[in-house]
Amino acid sequence: MITYIDFLDIGLPTSSGTVTLGSVLKFIFILSFSTILAKIISIYLRRSLKNRVSKDMGETIIKLLYYGILTIVFLSNLHLIGINPSGFLLAGGVAGIILGFASQNIVGNLVSGVFLMIERPIKIGDQVQINDVSGYVTDIRIISTHIRTFEGLLVRIPNQQVFTTNITNIVGHPVRRFEYTIRIRYSDDANAAIFLIKDLIDKEPFALLNPSPSVFVNDLADSSVNINVRIWAPVNEWFGIKTRILWNIKQTLEENGIEIPLPQRIVRIQTDSKKVPEELMPGKEIESVINYEERVLA
Amino acid sequence: MYGYYDPPFSVEQEGIAISVEKVGEQWVYRRTLGTDSVEKIILGGGKRFIINPVEPLNTPKEITPNLLIEFEKTLLLSGGAKRKIFLKFPIEIGVFIADKGDKNLQLLDVLSLARQKFTLYGEVSNGVICKHWKSQIYSISPSPNPLQEGVMELTLRNASSDWASISKAVFSAYGMKLYYAGDVFMRARMDILNRNTAETGFEVQHISGELKSSPLKDFKARKEAFGVYSLQKLGLVPLKFYMGWGF
Repeated sequence: MITYIDFLDIGLPTSSGTVTLGSVLKFIFILSFSTILAKIISIYLRRSLKNRVSKDMGETIIKLLYYGILTIVFLSNLHLIGINPSGFLLAGGVAGIILGFASQNIVGNLVSGVFLMIERPIKIGDQVQINDVSGYVTDIRIISTHIRTFEGLLVRIPNQQVFTTNITNIVGHPVRRFEYTIRIRYSDDANAAIFLIKDLIDKEPFALLNPSPSVFVNDLADSSVNINVRIWAPVNEWFGIKTRILWNIKQTLEENGIEIPLPQRIVRIQTDSKKVPEELMPGKEIESVINYEERVLA
Repeated sequence: MYGYYDPPFSVEQEGIAISVEKVGEQWVYRRTLGTDSVEKIILGGGKRFIINPVEPLNTPKEITPNLLIEFEKTLLLSGGAKRKIFLKFPIEIGVFIADKGDKNLQLLDVLSLARQKFTLYGEVSNGVICKHWKSQIYSISPSPNPLQEGVMELTLRNASSDWASISKAVFSAYGMKLYYAGDVFMRARMDILNRNTAETGFEVQHISGELKSSPLKDFKARKEAFGVYSLQKLGLVPLKFYMGWGF
């Protein structure tokens, strides 16, 4: 008589039932498979996050995800090796609630950080304005975003604040517009001034042809005729052009006899021979000072 | 001015002065153009200098790899038609230093006599910045100043069944192949895909063989120019340009 023994069905009694060799092997297989899967996901994420977030933060996200997958798979398959995970889950749940209350802000910042990475309103290297802070984004971390201000200061802003406030991305589009108001005298020829300004813009390489610049009389003000100049430029070049063209406009206009006027007010003095100032009339008391003490100081 | 030079040498043309002199144990490269001047010290001997036309996208600053050529007059091409036209395009002059046999090529200097202007192709929110150039449309090859402009032979193919109204073409510098002899030449194509989109690219075959029978330069072999963009070790960069915002 041949007795056939199935090794996979050999059982070992435990507190939560019998554990067979087959179920242990199944547990090992699932764990190995999930490790490989987590590795593949990590490699894919490492590639896709390469230019989106800083290396440090990318690695943190990948590690969190990697160990998260392994923990979930491990806990959900503990019954295969005869361990009841409900005790872990209950303890974990209670601990989670306590930790959740204790670290509400941290979790808020963490979640905001994840959403910032998904929505990507800003990238590392962008010039941004967040609340009253303007500068370059140097790092987007899991909890906070780091800004190097134009003055060279490091400002750390919690991600929750970044996510819930208005963000102005200065370099979000390839081009941007800037403008000046150039004031000339009423006696100057505005058409000549417009021609000279347009010629200067035409000579500037980074002043874009399209969208086209516009130069026009915008206001007839108290002391001057105001000419509005609007120029589009590549977003990384606009500031240099802005400073360069303004001074060139000033010099060119002056060379052509067109001047920027100082604020002025015309005062007309009308003389009336019959009217004599009160204080000069002999013997007459000035009404405004009569009984001054009674009216004011009493 | 274009060609190979062994130091010391000095060359001057159209206001450009380029020289390489030996000062003590080192070589000094000097270049002047108007008020702009460049001086560089070169350590190491046995080098050759190459002056040739390069892609017009390096000066005054490399901010885009795209060149937009605006046609002076709008061109209408019937559906399914294929026509060849000639355009002018701007030239920049590149100075390279290399070992004998054109090995270990290194860009030394880039200068330009052409007008510099940029424009936006597409929308403000997601368009592409391009170097701008305006050209007439020629049916036979024009003869521009080779230090300033080159000649582009552009083959237009209208793959759609509708008439195509063409007023501009955008090209990527990554695919540009310039050839020079007495002139500077480039051969490109533009495929009209539908009413609003087109694709541009460059012909990469060596011109000296094919153009020997061309009416452009009878029996005169042009030399392939070293490009600034072709020097860069790039990965998968598209050599074609997809014009998705009209032409």
